[in-house]
Amino acid sequence: MKTITAYKCKGCGHVMYPHHFRCLECKGREFEEITPSTKGKLITYTSVEQLPWGSDERRRVLGIVEFDNGVKALGVIKSDSPKIGMKVIASWEPVRVIKGEQVYGLNFQPD
Amino acid sequence: MRPVIISGAGMIPFERRDEDSLVDMLAMASLNAMDDANLGDRPIDSVYVGNMASGLFNHQVSVASSLVDRLSLMPAAAERIENGPASGGSAIKNGYLAVASGYNDIVLVVGGEKMREVIGPKATDIVACMTHPEAEYIYGVTLPAMAGMYTRLYMEKYGVTREHLTLVAIKNQENGLLNPYAHIQMKITMEGILTHPQAHVNSPIVADPIHLYDCCPVSDGAAAVILTTVDIANELNKPLVSIDGVGQATDTQTLQERSDPTDLKAVTIASEKAFRMAGIKPKDIDVAELHDAFTILEIAESEHAGFFPKGEGAKALKAGETRIGGKLPINPSGGLKARGHPVGATGVAQIVELVWQLRGEAGERQVKKAANGFSLNFGGFGNNVLAFVLRRKS
Repeated sequence: MKTITAYKCKGCGHVMYPHHFRCLECKGREFEEITPSTKGKLITYTSVEQLPWGSDERRRVLGIVEFDNGVKALGVIKSDSPKIGMKVIASWEPVRVIKGEQVYGLNFQPD
Repeated sequence: MRPVIISGAGMIPFERRDEDSLVDMLAMASLNAMDDANLGDRPIDSVYVGNMASGLFNHQVSVASSLVDRLSLMPAAAERIENGPASGGSAIKNGYLAVASGYNDIVLVVGGEKMREVIGPKATDIVACMTHPEAEYIYGVTLPAMAGMYTRLYMEKYGVTREHLTLVAIKNQENGLLNPYAHIQMKITMEGILTHPQAHVNSPIVADPIHLYDCCPVSDGAAAVILTTVDIANELNKPLVSIDGVGQATDTQTLQERSDPTDLKAVTIASEKAFRMAGIKPKDIDVAELHDAFTILEIAESEHAGFFPKGEGAKALKAGETRIGGKLPINPSGGLKARGHPVGATGVAQIVELVWQLRGEAGERQVKKAANGFSLNFGGFGNNVLAFVLRRKS
């Protein structure tokens, strides 16, 4: 599956996403590129009912997921009854059309 | 550094202002502050314009150059300061430094935004441009969505309820009724917004658990101050309200990279810096203007700034401590919730309100014996925060 690239600091092991030029913890500049595991748990979420310009959806649930390998990322939550702590599984799907191009991103379904 | 006095303060009513361009609004607020300062024909050394997104909202850039021309302030130095929703606070900080350092003697700081030129979903999208392009924006995240995710965590951790959130809205809209400059002039009730079976018709979900009445309105407006030295303030015969503390701090761009996403570290650090510089403590503050773009933020900021212990802000609110007449009145102006939030104007409008409060010029919403004021301007979702301590000199 295509997915995001996260970064593990070669100095202290701190896992980061998105990209930083210096480690948030030790200020190191060398990173190992890592991919998140496919499974994780939901940290928080919101059901957005006033979406920005360009969206044709009535509502969209967004949430932050912590993957089993420590990467944390925002994504679209494909569930009508999300709960904090819920186990989810990631997929890579279209999320938004920007400047006429389909952009892909993280989606999460209950595991 | 030498003391800096706010010799003039002025604004224009925040509302939908179809007839006025952004530069018109900046000019009108500036004239109000210049006249309030009794400035006459004295030359202004520098102009700092706080504005977030004139390029996106109004298809106009270099607005500071345009403003000095409209006000005939040439050859004053002029620039626009962009720092997201903290643009106004950053403009104040830059003006402060110019006078405090001795580089300038008279500075105009004006903040403004014209947001209603675009329709609601466009405004939501423009404001969302401050989020991370890859890790947030592509998902359709909005600032209310950030606030929704934050509110859910805060409720879970500290037992804050929707009743508490609604109490912020009710209080600030009551205060707004006493402020002729406030955008929202409407009393609301717990029944109409929360407890009635049909309350969701009045206050629908924006990004749950955030509802419409948990959000500030989208407004047009501008606010301005004149900063001078003590000597010039005395010549101008104005009461001495000084900027005694300026603090600023940043945090990660995304919520998820904070070890505890409910912890607004930048608010804590910016506030501590401002209090340390002023040499006073949160308990010495008589009136505070906090950045309640969403109701949860007034509660969370009141704790992170040091006025209440973590988890106690909602209790103090419910006990009435933050009303006008309470122990620490918060947002007597109506806050962003009622005054409105023309993004770049907000940090300056907060300072204008404090000047009026500390001079005793706040009319029906006057906080009694207000001598020390505090303001907090919150950028991004807590990733760039400015705090100020203002004091009336006897």
